Amino acid sequence: MSFALTSFKKDLARWRQDVMSTLIWISIPLMIGGLITALMGSDVKPHGVLLMVDQDESFLSELIAGAYSAGELGELISVEKTTLEEGTERINEGDASGLLIIPEGFGDAFLNSEPVTLTLKTNPSQTILPGIITNVTEILLDAGFYAHQLFGDEIDLIKNLGDEPSDAVVGAMAIAIQNKMESVAPQLFPPIIDVEIVEPPPTEPTPPLALLFLPGIILMSVMFSANGIAGDWWREREQGTLRRLVFAPGQLGGFVVGKAMAAAVIIGLVGGLTLLLGFLYHGISWAKLPSSLIWISISGVALFSWFAALQMLFSNQKTASIISSMLLFPLLMVGGSFFPLAVLPGWIAAIGRASPNGFVAHRLTLEITAEGAWSIVASDWLIVIAAAVAGLSICAWRLKSGFARA
Amino acid sequence: MLKVEELSKNYGDFVAVDNISFESGKGTVFGLLGPNGAGKSTTINCVSGLMQPTSGHASVAGHDVVSDGKAARQNLGVVPQEIALYEDLPAVENLRYWGKAYGLRGADLESRVRDVLEYIGLGDRAKDLPKEFSGGMKRRLNFGCGIVHRPPVILLDEPTVGVDPQSRARLFDMVEAERDAGACILYTTHYMEEAERLCDSLAIIDHGKLIAQGTVDQLRAKLGARDVLQLSGHFPVDETKRAIEALVDGGNQDLEFIAQEEESITLTLSQASQHLPAIFKAVSAAGGNVTETSLRSPNLETLFLLLTGTELRE
Repeated sequence: MSFALTSFKKDLARWRQDVMSTLIWISIPLMIGGLITALMGSDVKPHGVLLMVDQDESFLSELIAGAYSAGELGELISVEKTTLEEGTERINEGDASGLLIIPEGFGDAFLNSEPVTLTLKTNPSQTILPGIITNVTEILLDAGFYAHQLFGDEIDLIKNLGDEPSDAVVGAMAIAIQNKMESVAPQLFPPIIDVEIVEPPPTEPTPPLALLFLPGIILMSVMFSANGIAGDWWREREQGTLRRLVFAPGQLGGFVVGKAMAAAVIIGLVGGLTLLLGFLYHGISWAKLPSSLIWISISGVALFSWFAALQMLFSNQKTASIISSMLLFPLLMVGGSFFPLAVLPGWIAAIGRASPNGFVAHRLTLEITAEGAWSIVASDWLIVIAAAVAGLSICAWRLKSGFARA
Repeated sequence: MLKVEELSKNYGDFVAVDNISFESGKGTVFGLLGPNGAGKSTTINCVSGLMQPTSGHASVAGHDVVSDGKAARQNLGVVPQEIALYEDLPAVENLRYWGKAYGLRGADLESRVRDVLEYIGLGDRAKDLPKEFSGGMKRRLNFGCGIVHRPPVILLDEPTVGVDPQSRARLFDMVEAERDAGACILYTTHYMEEAERLCDSLAIIDHGKLIAQGTVDQLRAKLGARDVLQLSGHFPVDETKRAIEALVDGGNQDLEFIAQEEESITLTLSQASQHLPAIFKAVSAAGGNVTETSLRSPNLETLFLLLTGTELRE
């Protein structure tokens, strides 16, 4: 154990000389994570512009414009009145989510139950907001149709009223509308059809998408650092220190353990910094920080040991480095570092969760989104510890079986 | 202190070391001489435990390197041919690390590290990184790391390769100091002048076999007082051979062929300078054309030439 500590200190001292690598391991995932968070931040709602060309300028056309920006819909859509030329130009340039053209005579046509066409052009480069605008437009038209069916007589009366209707006529019309409302009220309030609302069983709240990216980003920095530190076996071999180590009596075990301890600390620091920033940004409970940090440190050692074991199988450093890097990026891709496992198609997510880094990222997701800390089950802890021990054993075997001597 | 008995190392059909034996005691430098690829490093690797011999035995301070490897390695200090240092760790940390690898701890370690730093002339550069050192300084630190744990047996594998004359002289001083302190040193080299200066006894190895062994004086005696004469040019093989044999028959009894090719002849004889005119005359008469002449007085290099027919540095 004493030499393991010596070896550990030696590696930490050497690591301090290589600040640039550490900065790269930290900065690339942070840069990617920052970009993703900026694009998909949890507080950002989509907002679109509906251009409206009101050629009718009637009470009804004003009513339609108001309907798009009423209530919660107004948080999603802003209505801008414009001319046909400007509106057409802007929608063609993709400068709005939709363009609604209300033709001249729309109000009269509605009152006379004559056919009339509203034109709605949507922006094909957007998906959500044009869909909402289309749905709202269809609902408005349906509402207009039913209003016509229900209050046809009153609409006819309004149509034939002069500029100054008498109070008696207005009063009679109000009473007629009141009577019709009262007659349909039992069906509408409450509806005649009794609907039993069956609520689905309560599900856990879905975490924000940006939070789901966090474990993948952290695992990216862990993977970069694990792969980078794994290359140190080759660096030691190239500078002859592994060979000299073999001359020393019975120190291989301590040397391997020391390297694993150094890897745990370095990966813990690199991953921990990413973790810390993620906790700060997403406001994750600090109670989960120790468990998350220990999880990524131990998992980082397991990943480091397997990257090292893989690299030590090859006959030269260049090949080892190329193969290791070639493996790294597909693993990052499938393991949820670029797309969270939760948003991947089921079969890809299943493969991702079975990949080494995906396994770790998935458990880290559970940990940071669970109610309390230490939610990763004991069997998962045992799996990563066993993986680390197995990987380090292979490294030790390769040292003894000729890797150090070449 | 160091004993090698009938040691062989094969790689498939290739015999790298063929049944060699030698022994060296406390306070002596034993030289293992031979050209590149002769089997010196393989021998060192077998003695140091880096490789397992195919057959035979080696022991260090009474411990067999295979059956009692840990104890053997504890008594062994190895200075490898290639620099083996942590270039990104200060010189003092390199020494501390390798001292700890051999079990030194605490005040003993610190005191030994200080001594070795002074000894190798890097006392004022202790905190500097080896990557900032010259080649000679790295060699000295490489040497220091091999002896920091005070090993009774030291293996030096061609320690002066690529070293400037000043650093080489310093390394020689350090080897002699270790010997005077009682260490048993196995020194491999292909520089005969190093062996002549440093080694109390030596063995000459070629193609994995020991071809001569003894003290420097004993080996010189094998050569006698004969010089080595090497003629370069163009020489008809059969005619030249007959002409030289005629010289032997004519009274030059100790004239001996070592090697003959179309473009060079190597001969050995006493007081060669006095016989040069007769030799030139005979070679010319045989149709030979001498373009270059090299006459060397007896030394280990000429002994190697005598024994193998080839230059040591080939």
